[in-house]
Amino acid sequence: MNVFYDKFERHDHGEGLKGQATHYCAGCGHGLAHKYLAEAIEELGVQDRTVAVSPVGCSVFLYYYFNVGNTQAAHGRAPAVAIGQKTANPDSIVISYQGDGDLASIGLAEIVSTAQMGIPISVVFVNNAIYGMTGGQLAPTTLMGQKTSTTPEGRNEFFGTPIRMAELIAGLDGPVYVERVALYDAKQRVRAKKAITKALKLQVENKGFAFVEVLAECPTHLGMNPSDAEKWVKEKMTAVFPLGIKKDVENPPDHAKPGTPEFNPAHLMEVFEGTTEKAPRFCNEFPSGWATDDIALKFAGAGGDGAQTAALLVARAGINEGYDATHIPSYGPESRGGTSYADVHIARTEVLSPASPSPHILVAFNAPSLARFGPTVVPGGTIVYDSSVIVDVPALAKGVKAIGVPMTRIASELGRLVVKNVVALGALQAATSLFPEETVLTAIRQALKSKCAMIPLNEEAFARGSQAVRNHES
Amino acid sequence: MSTVRERPKPLLLPQFCKGCGRCIESCAKHCITVGTEINPATGLVPVHLDLEQCNGCGLCISACPEPYGLRAEPGKDFVLEDPKALFGPRDKAREAARSIPDERLPLPLVEPLVVKGTYAAAIGALIAGCRHFYGYPITPSTEGAELMAKLLPKLQGVFMQAVSETAAVNMMYGCGGAGLRATTFTSSPGFSLMLEGISYMIGAELPAVFLNVMRGGPGLGNIAPEQSDIKLACRGLGHGNTHAVVLAPSTPQEMLDLTILAFDIAFRYRNPVVILGDGYLGQMTGTVRLPDFVVKPGLPDWAVWGDKGHRENLNCSIFLSESDLEAHNTHLNAKYAAMTAAEQRADLFETDDADVLLVACNTPGRMAKGAVRDLRARGIKAGLFRPMTLWPFPIDALKPMLERVRRIVVVEASNGQLEDEMRLAISHAGVHAPPVINSVRRFGGILPQQREIVERVLGFEGKEAAA
Ligand code: SF4
Ligand code: SF4
Ligand code: SF4
Repeated sequence: MNVFYDKFERHDHGEGLKGQATHYCAGCGHGLAHKYLAEAIEELGVQDRTVAVSPVGCSVFLYYYFNVGNTQAAHGRAPAVAIGQKTANPDSIVISYQGDGDLASIGLAEIVSTAQMGIPISVVFVNNAIYGMTGGQLAPTTLMGQKTSTTPEGRNEFFGTPIRMAELIAGLDGPVYVERVALYDAKQRVRAKKAITKALKLQVENKGFAFVEVLAECPTHLGMNPSDAEKWVKEKMTAVFPLGIKKDVENPPDHAKPGTPEFNPAHLMEVFEGTTEKAPRFCNEFPSGWATDDIALKFAGAGGDGAQTAALLVARAGINEGYDATHIPSYGPESRGGTSYADVHIARTEVLSPASPSPHILVAFNAPSLARFGPTVVPGGTIVYDSSVIVDVPALAKGVKAIGVPMTRIASELGRLVVKNVVALGALQAATSLFPEETVLTAIRQALKSKCAMIPLNEEAFARGSQAVRNHES
Repeated sequence: MSTVRERPKPLLLPQFCKGCGRCIESCAKHCITVGTEINPATGLVPVHLDLEQCNGCGLCISACPEPYGLRAEPGKDFVLEDPKALFGPRDKAREAARSIPDERLPLPLVEPLVVKGTYAAAIGALIAGCRHFYGYPITPSTEGAELMAKLLPKLQGVFMQAVSETAAVNMMYGCGGAGLRATTFTSSPGFSLMLEGISYMIGAELPAVFLNVMRGGPGLGNIAPEQSDIKLACRGLGHGNTHAVVLAPSTPQEMLDLTILAFDIAFRYRNPVVILGDGYLGQMTGTVRLPDFVVKPGLPDWAVWGDKGHRENLNCSIFLSESDLEAHNTHLNAKYAAMTAAEQRADLFETDDADVLLVACNTPGRMAKGAVRDLRARGIKAGLFRPMTLWPFPIDALKPMLERVRRIVVVEASNGQLEDEMRLAISHAGVHAPPVINSVRRFGGILPQQREIVERVLGFEGKEAAA
C-alpha cells in the first residue's frame, strides 16, 4: 500500500526491522485505525492532497508511517493545527488523529470549537479508555471502577464519569457526520473502515467536519492479551460508549471555501483607503507662537463630547501641513462614560514625547476636565472651555488666557449636539490661530468624506465657534 | 492493494508479526494458530499459517494491525527473501517541491496614512503578504485585530477568532507550517498562553509573527501600558532552548516598518518573531508612510502544503534520540548565532558626544528622546540609545559607547527587564567595568514621563557631583 512508507525511515532511522514495523504494542488498536485510514486515503485517491496531524499520545509517531504531508501537534492542539493547515490550503485534505487524553482531556476546547465551526476536516478519535504513552493513567474515558495507575482503587465518582465524545460532538451544529465504531470483530472492523472512509470522503467533497470515534484496544495497559482486550471493549466499553452513527446530515451543503488570497497593490491601496492626492497646504511656517518645535495640546471632556475626534482632527491638520503630529487617547475603563481626554502634539520635525502633561493649549468640555487640567497649562498658554456647562474657572498659571464659549448651547441651536466639538475647533481656531482656518476645515471635510451632507452643518458649527471667540474678545 | 488475483491468500513474513493473535479469531476457517517458535530477529512469537482451508476471504488481513504484517500474497513470482519485492512500484522519482520565491510588487506612492499603532501593524502585516490572522481578543491589542477582521476578507484572506490564545498559536503553527504568513495580535496574558505553541514552532522551525501589545502585570494586572514581557520574549519563549528576534517599535511608523521586517526575518530563519509594543503605542495615532512595495509571498520548499511535491515534509519538534536532539539544538544555536550577528538594530540619538546615555525602548524611548533634548538645553550632554531589537540586544552598537559615557540611565516601564537584557549583553560582550548604571522605572501602567526622566537624571548627576 502506497500510503504507508515502504520503509519507516523516521522510526529509529528505519534501521533493522523497525523500518517496517510499527512502534505499537502487539494487538494495539491504533495499527488498525492507521490501516483503515491509509486504505481510505488510497481509495479516495487523495494521497497527494493529504496532511495528517499527529497528536501527542501513543499515536504521536503517526508520521513515521503515512506517506503524506505530516505535521505533529502539541498535546491536544491537533484540531487547531488542522485549522491552520486547512485555512492555509483549503484544497488539502486534513486529518486530525487523536487519542482520548489528547482529544477528550487537554484538547477539549480545541475539538469542541473546531467541530462547532464545522470546518471540513476529518477527525479520527481513538478511545482506548486509558493513557497509553504516559503509562496507564486515568483517561477521561476510563470506565467506572477501571483501575489505572492514578486510580489504583478504580475510577470512582470523585473523578467523574467517562465522557462520551461522539455524543457530545454530535450535539453540536457544526459536524456533518459523527459515528462511533469498534475493532473487536470482523464486522466492527468493516464498519470502522467504512466510517473512516466516509469521514474522509465528506472532506473530499467539501461537506464539513466529520468525526469518527474508534473504540480501540490497549492490551498493554489493560493488562490483557489482545483477544481478551477485544472482549473487554465489546462487553465493557460498548456498554458505556454505544456504537453507531450519532449524526449524519443528509445532503449537507458545500462548505464555503476561502478564496485565493489577493495581493494586487492597487486593490490593497484601496483597502487601506490610501490616496495619492496630496492634501492642500495653507501654512507658511510652523506656528511657533507657543513653542519653537513642538506644541502640546490637550482635549478633555466626558465620553461623548467628541474630544477624541476634535483631537484627531487637529493632529490630522498638522500632518496635512507636513508637520509631525501624534494623538494619544486616554483609554480603558475611565474612557467608558467617564472623562475622555486626548493628548496631541504637533512638531516641526518629530514629536519626541507624545504625552501632554503640561499642554500649551487645552480644550475643556466639562468642569472636572477644566478643574483637573486647567492648572497644568503652561504660563502663556490658552484654554478654550464650554461656558454652557462650566461656571468656575480654577486658578491658572501666569498669563494663561481662558476663553469661555457656549459650545453646547451653540450646538443645540444648530440642532445637532454632536457638532459641539466642531464648535470647539472653531473657537480654538479663533483663539489661537494655530493653523490657517482652511487647514482645519480641510481636515474636517476629509473626515466627512463619506458623509458629505454633514459638511455644511459642520462648517457652520466651526464658524459659530470662531464668531463666539471674536465676540468675546471684542 | 498490490495484487492481481481476485481473492489472494494471506502472506506473512514472520519477522513482521508481533504475535498479537488478532488474526486468529478473525479466520472462520481456523487457518491461523498461535505460534510456537520464537522468531530470532524479533524475539516475538509469530502466528502459524496453514492455508489449506483458506478461501481467501481476507478477513485476517484486515484484522492485522501491522502495515507489513499479514498481507495479500502478491503473486507467484516474488522472492520471499526480499521484502522489497512485495511492494508495488513506488513513485520515488517524483520531483521534490522547489521554493517559489516571494515577489515584491510596486505600490504606488501613497500619501502618508494617519493611523494608530495597532492599525499600522495590521497594515504592515498586509503589506508583508500576510493573509492569515488567528487570534483571541484581548485589550489593548484588539483594535488591530478588528481592523484585520475588516480588511482580510476584502483580500480573500482568513481572519479566525480562536477559542483561546492556545488554539490561536497552534493555528499559526498549522498555517506557518503550510509555508504561509500567519500573524496574531495579543497582549501580555494572552502572550503567556501562546508560549507553549511558540516553543513548538521554534522546535519545528516554523515562521510566524506575534504582536504583543504589552500591558500591566503580573496576572490580570491592568490594561495600561507596561513593558512587562521583555523578559518573557527575550528569555522565556516557552520551554527548552528557544529564542526569537524581538522587535521593539516606538512609533506608529515603526509598528508598520518592523512588522514588515518581522515577516522577512521569520521566513529567513524559519523562526517566530515577536514584536513588543505597549498599550500607549498601540493607541497612538501618527503619520505612517507606506513602502513602495507589497509582498506577494511564494511557497517555501519545506512547507507541508499537502501536495505531491511537498509530501516528504514533516513539521515536528520531536527528536527522540538524545544525539538527534542535541544535533537539532546545535543547529538552532547556529541560527541564534546568525540572528545575533545579523539582526541587531538600534536607533541612536545625540550619542556622538554623550556623557550620559539614556537607554529606553518603545514609548519610554520617545519620552527619553524628549528628555535628551531637555537635558541638553540644561547643559547635560545626554544621548539616547534605543534598542529596536531586544533580542538580540544591539550590543555591537552599545559596546563602543561604554568606554566613553560616564553614566547609563535605563528608562523603562517595567521592573528592570530591559536593564537585565542590557546587563546580560554587556557581560557576554566581556565588558566587566561598565559605566555607572542608574534606572528610572515606573510600572503598573504608568510610563516614565519626559519631565520625570529629566529630574531623575539631574538628580543622578547632582549626587555624583556632590560625592
Ligand atoms: S500502550 Fe496501549 S495504546 Fe499505546 S501502543 Fe501500547 S497498546 Fe497501543
Ligand atoms: S483469508 Fe480468510 S480464510 Fe484465509 S486465512 Fe485469512 S481469514 Fe482465514
Ligand atoms: S494480526 Fe498480524 S501481527 Fe497479529 S498475530 Fe496476526 S499476523 Fe501477527
